[in-house]
Amino acid sequence: MSETVTFKLNGKDVSVPKGWTVMKAAAKEGVEIPHFCYHEGLSIAGVCRFCMVKVEGRPKLEIACNLQATEGMVVSTTEDEVKEAHKWALEFHLINHPLDCPICDQAGECSLQDYYMSVGKYESEMTRPKVLKPKALDVGDQLVLDTERCILCSRCVRFEEEITKTDALGIFNRGDRATIGTYPDKRLEHNYQTNLVDICPVGAFTSKDFRFKQRVWFLKDKKAICPGCSTGCEVDVYGKPEDSHYYRIKPRHSEVNGHWMCDKGRYYYDHMNPVGRLRKAISGIEGSRKFVDTDEAIADLARKISNSSVSDMALLVSPQYTNEEYAALLEFFVTQMGVKNVYQWREPTESTEDFDGILYRGDHNANTAGLAAALKAVGLENNIENQFDDLAKSGAKLVVALAPELSSTYPSLKEQINKLEELPFVSMWTIDGKVFEYPGINHAIPMKGFAEKKGSFIGHSGVRKLEQPFPAGNEHARDLVETVEALTKVMAHL
Amino acid sequence: MTHEKIILATEGKENQRSIDTYLANGGYTAIKKAAKMDRKAIIDLVKASGLRGRGGAGFPTGLKWSFVPPDDGKPKYLICNNDESEPGTFKDRHISSVNPHMIIEGMLIGGYTVGAEKGYIYSRWEFQLEIGYLEQAIKEAYEAGFLGQNIFGSGINFELDHYSGAGAYICGEETGLISSLEGKKGQPKLKPPFPALEGYLRRPTVVNNTETFCNIPHIITHGAEVFRRYGTEKSPGTKLFSISGALNRPGVYEVPLGYSLKKLIEEDCGGLKDGKKIKAVVPGGMSAPLLMPAQVETATLDYECMQEMGSMLGSGAIMIIDDQQDVVDLLRITTDFFAHESCGQCTPCREGTGWLKNLVNGILEGTEGPAAVDRIYQVADHMEGRTICALSDAAAWPAKSYVKNFGEEIKAYIEKKGNRA
Amino acid sequence: MAGVIKVASPPEDNNLFQKGYGYISTISQGMWKTWSIFWEQITGKEKTNTLEWPEAPANYSDRFKGKHFLTRRPDGQVRCTACFLCATHCPADCIHIEAGQHPTNEIEKYPVRFEIDILRCVFCGFCEEACPVDAIRLGPEYAMTGNYGEKWVYTKDYLADRTQLQGGITSVKDEQEKHPTTDHHPNGEEKIKALARHMQH
Repeated sequence: MSETVTFKLNGKDVSVPKGWTVMKAAAKEGVEIPHFCYHEGLSIAGVCRFCMVKVEGRPKLEIACNLQATEGMVVSTTEDEVKEAHKWALEFHLINHPLDCPICDQAGECSLQDYYMSVGKYESEMTRPKVLKPKALDVGDQLVLDTERCILCSRCVRFEEEITKTDALGIFNRGDRATIGTYPDKRLEHNYQTNLVDICPVGAFTSKDFRFKQRVWFLKDKKAICPGCSTGCEVDVYGKPEDSHYYRIKPRHSEVNGHWMCDKGRYYYDHMNPVGRLRKAISGIEGSRKFVDTDEAIADLARKISNSSVSDMALLVSPQYTNEEYAALLEFFVTQMGVKNVYQWREPTESTEDFDGILYRGDHNANTAGLAAALKAVGLENNIENQFDDLAKSGAKLVVALAPELSSTYPSLKEQINKLEELPFVSMWTIDGKVFEYPGINHAIPMKGFAEKKGSFIGHSGVRKLEQPFPAGNEHARDLVETVEALTKVMAHL
Repeated sequence: MTHEKIILATEGKENQRSIDTYLANGGYTAIKKAAKMDRKAIIDLVKASGLRGRGGAGFPTGLKWSFVPPDDGKPKYLICNNDESEPGTFKDRHISSVNPHMIIEGMLIGGYTVGAEKGYIYSRWEFQLEIGYLEQAIKEAYEAGFLGQNIFGSGINFELDHYSGAGAYICGEETGLISSLEGKKGQPKLKPPFPALEGYLRRPTVVNNTETFCNIPHIITHGAEVFRRYGTEKSPGTKLFSISGALNRPGVYEVPLGYSLKKLIEEDCGGLKDGKKIKAVVPGGMSAPLLMPAQVETATLDYECMQEMGSMLGSGAIMIIDDQQDVVDLLRITTDFFAHESCGQCTPCREGTGWLKNLVNGILEGTEGPAAVDRIYQVADHMEGRTICALSDAAAWPAKSYVKNFGEEIKAYIEKKGNRA
Repeated sequence: MAGVIKVASPPEDNNLFQKGYGYISTISQGMWKTWSIFWEQITGKEKTNTLEWPEAPANYSDRFKGKHFLTRRPDGQVRCTACFLCATHCPADCIHIEAGQHPTNEIEKYPVRFEIDILRCVFCGFCEEACPVDAIRLGPEYAMTGNYGEKWVYTKDYLADRTQLQGGITSVKDEQEKHPTTDHHPNGEEKIKALARHMQH
């Protein structure tokens, strides 16, 4: 049985398990204690001296992040002394901070800006020249480091020590010459670099990929699940719906992924952007292929299906769609129409048992388990191995192929699709605009991206839900549920 | 005026440093007595003696030793803080070159009492000569069987090593010292947890000043009452004062606590030379607030009096500022030093010391007006009490003291320089 | 006689002659007015409000908000750091900026594209107020003409470098750094006066 302690926070009684700090208790109660160096996912440093609180009976202010709550303690965050401490803590942080707001990507989500507006708003007394340090350094494939903006909170150093255990960052020199940096001629080499951008409270670490692309106050964010591997980290996708453009992905805290995500997943917004995306359906039934509206393509396909026999038809499914989509698809093709030839499309070079020890798994599909369950539910054998080659040799006359949403997770994709050239009719449902280049593909329906769908995956640790879709990137994109619904409608009239 | 020398007992003797001299002077008998005593009894004895840490903080030694938890089968450590970086202090250097064996004996007793079987003497790197003396003394002690396993058959194990710093004032702070000893950057650690519970390598560690250890053999041998013969009720014992300035006889003096400051200056040190007069006195190292001449008249060298007068006894480094010295230059030395030595971990100190240095240098360059004087006070005021260690306070106190006592003089300097406001 | 309100007698229906007279009378009054003013103005008795521009100068105040221009740094590059504040504050949503990495580290961020859709612009001047470095200003030029079908989007080159700007106007921020003690910035003021004068030709 763990004990609880009860103490007073701003006059209100708060009960927390023994061992909790006042900072953690305040976060639970929704009382804001401003801080820089404290981070829930990292050890306590206590170096920013910003989270000061007044404890009755103690002469000096205490930092809340290292203050264990004890029975009967009386803590206040609203005393004048505390407010004065906040102002001066900000003053000390800002006196050598460069005036980079116009060129700094962190503007709009910067702790210094936010806290100045909420607890600062003082007139600065500093008139002396500022300390200058190296700026815009390339320290990793995903990172740009600006040491002048750094407020030496040491979150990045602790991240390197505790999470990735790579110890690639340190604070060199002392006093106000202290500078964050990597060891001579060493760069960051691991797959979790962009988390440093997330935890850095200011614009010292910025993302190379996102650099200067957009101001964050123009972006809207919605919750999603990273589709890159079977871990299924919870993420926020940031985009500008009015332009149908996505800009970045950031992790969201959850039990599955803690506060982090890997760098691979950071790029899985780009395939949903207009450039490179399949914007219209393709239909080649009347002869040469051309771009058509999705409804027309679906009608063409429906006709083709109704003119074929069930034994000549085949389904090729990749494990990157949602459970709901599989249910609809298999209900239509297998249960209602009786198609028996359902093949799984996987990458032949994959090693699904790989795990890097932190988050990234070797199964680069979001819903392997979900597809297996869906197939089992309709009485089809689950075979996790790549069945692509079997399909290519099968001689099926009409194939509906559901391409992987993330072409980059299937390095052999091009090779595989070219094998389909032999088959007389292949309809590929995909988001990738490159599909037009493959001669073997006669018909294509543009798909929605994962951030535009509502649904669920079954990841390594259970159900992962997509709950906040963006509006579809273009009017012709569909998900499987909608496509099957439309097909059903058209076929009902044939 | 001659005083009884307890800590500096071997001073001036032939081969003052050697173990033979020490033994001839009654050395290494206290440890033999302590070895037969109960650990708790020793702690009680040290508590009763009222010995306070001589490094600067003045924390009761017996109390510090009592915080160490009982044995849990894992190692504990005892560290002698011989870093002595407080400007103006040179007493530990003196002890290291005059009576190094007393340190070793004090550590032996301390180690036995708290259950530490490994000790380190951490000296500042600049003690090139003294490091040699200490290492020689350690070697002699090992050879004579006073260090190592089962020393003189008592069952006590104590291994002692010397470790030198690399030129950082911050390593005189106990957790900064521990970080440095662990091979890391000498940055102080958050307290809590306190070193007595989690120190070196996260094990219970006791860190005491060199001079503090030197008092221990005397207390064990002669008892608390004899120890209390000198000194005051709350500040018992003798203390080494390193006194410097334009004096006839500056140096290290061992006097009882509570001794008159005026007497020390005029009688023991022979007063100021060349007809100079006292402008101010720094009683406890550069970070101590100044004592003005009126206070010097009645000041006694003990913790309470110094605190009442708004200053601190600190490390006992007394610096005499005479009337021919430039106050602005002294302020510059102070702010430059702390800006150079700040470890940079926590923001008020890192930025504040830099800002103070910047302001004072601005005054010297002629780019700051009289408002800078009040600015210095304001910045220093907000650096106090907000940081992991006391360096920020140590930087703030002298700055505030100079502005408070010599504010007008600094403003006159600014005006004379013709700065723009 | 409570409850009875006397009303004016309803208008009688005018007969044809009365109606005709009404029309002719008002029309001739109106025409008399028109021709008499015309006569007075033609003979110079009354001053017209018409400004015979471009022969006569059109003098707007110094605060007039006309065509935008982007200011320059002392070395000739655009002052704009692509911070997007002007685009954020624009109520007409007419500023489109694309930021890019500048080859030199001193500048770091600069606008690769800076476009103002001048047909959407309402000349409110918010962009000028929002800019933290005086990179964009609304100048004295008011003649913006063009043909249907032309692109009415002012690009960065046009905004910073058109001939009328005579090589570009240095931003106040850079001038302040060069002359910190005065509010008088000769380079910019001269050129803006020249721009205003240019409107007179």
